[in-house]
Amino acid sequence: MTGSPLSLAVAFQAGPIAVTEPVLVTWGIMLLLAGGSWLLTRRLTLHPSRAQSVLELVVQAIEAQIADVMRAEPASYLPLIGTLFLFILTANWSSLIPGIEPPTAHLETDAALALIVFVAVFWFGIGSRGLRGYLATFAEPSFLMIPLNVVETITRTFSLVVRLFGNVMSGVFVVGIVLSLVGLLVPVPLMALDLLTGAVQAYIFSVLAMVFIGGAVAPKEPNA
Amino acid sequence: MHLDWSTLALQTINVLVLVWLLRRFLFRPIVDIVAARRAAVEKTLADAAAAMAGLDARAADLAGREQAAQADATRIRAAAHEAAKADRDTLLQQAATDAAQARAEAEAATARARIAMQRDLERQAGELAVAVAMRLLQRIPAEAATGAFVAALEDMLTGLPDEQRAGLAEPGAELEVASAAALTPQARAHIAGRLQAVFGYAPALRFTVDPALIAGIELRGPHCTVRNTWRADLDRIAADLHLDSTHVEPALA
Repeated sequence: MTGSPLSLAVAFQAGPIAVTEPVLVTWGIMLLLAGGSWLLTRRLTLHPSRAQSVLELVVQAIEAQIADVMRAEPASYLPLIGTLFLFILTANWSSLIPGIEPPTAHLETDAALALIVFVAVFWFGIGSRGLRGYLATFAEPSFLMIPLNVVETITRTFSLVVRLFGNVMSGVFVVGIVLSLVGLLVPVPLMALDLLTGAVQAYIFSVLAMVFIGGAVAPKEPNA
Repeated sequence: MHLDWSTLALQTINVLVLVWLLRRFLFRPIVDIVAARRAAVEKTLADAAAAMAGLDARAADLAGREQAAQADATRIRAAAHEAAKADRDTLLQQAATDAAQARAEAEAATARARIAMQRDLERQAGELAVAVAMRLLQRIPAEAATGAFVAALEDMLTGLPDEQRAGLAEPGAELEVASAAALTPQARAHIAGRLQAVFGYAPALRFTVDPALIAGIELRGPHCTVRNTWRADLDRIAADLHLDSTHVEPALA
């Protein structure tokens, strides 16, 4: 990344809408994840292959994490949380491909993810408690906490954006700067560190989403 | 800070579409297959438990059948033992009866054989005695022995009842006087005189010789015969011996 992290390169123009590079990379990630999932889940059997076993391991690990963090049945939250984790992880690790900038290194993608979490908190909270019940949670433990709770709901969403954007963008910038200053192999350790950072950030974003949504829904012990 | 709202909108839509895509092609199939496997495992476990329960019931049933079979075997063995014992007793009793009967028959057969042998021996002894007596008597001259018989003949005629004596000789009828050896004229005259004294008249006499008489005189009338010979005596002795053995036989049989 040589330009400003806040600037977006337009890939092509689709009528009035400018399709930027992060959108283009996101489409590639979507194609990879959805296409790969379709290919791997076409012939699922009761006696799993090695690839099916890996897929089941990943999905069941996400389910277990949801059940542990949210203390709720994970079936309703698995598509959202699982997609967030897999997308952020894949997007963060897409920086390994030369010439590709992770979509999560741009503010718009992180803001989109945080916006989805923000809406999901309301969606699942109202679905679980009802509108009145959910709004009542803002008055806990007292009415005096309503302003603070409202501010917290907004600011924690911004914190999601800033945390993910800052970590990924900084990693990409560091690698880019080092690569422009020294030899070809010097940034490799930093890239490995960037992989670890990307995985940790995907995990943190998903866990925080689970915490926010879990705080909004009525507490319920999971069956499994 | 500049924010590209169109990119934000597109990314939001992209993530939402990706949520739907992964839900459709990844999470739901995986969750379904895991649930199916869990259900299959539970069904297998339930089937195994049911099969185990069935096997337990089958084992209990087989154990019951085995006990019943053992009880039947014991009962059949006892019945067979009792039947064999009864058959053995019956056979032993039958064998004892048969043995007693066979022994009795053997003893009877032995007794009969002994009696027959004894009778045969007695007969042979009688014949031997008669033969011995005949050979001994043949050594005595017939003329010497006949004299004693003439005297005895007179006594025999005297001792006969009148009817028999009268039936021996009739007037006008011929009386045969048989002897073992030819009589001398003196002896014939003596006999004629003695017969005349007995009958009161002189019967017509015809003297014959019969060596089979051994010794003595035999009077052969038309109606009866007076035998006063050794042959007659020996025949009588032999008859007596035969009669004695005949009388013994029923007592031994």
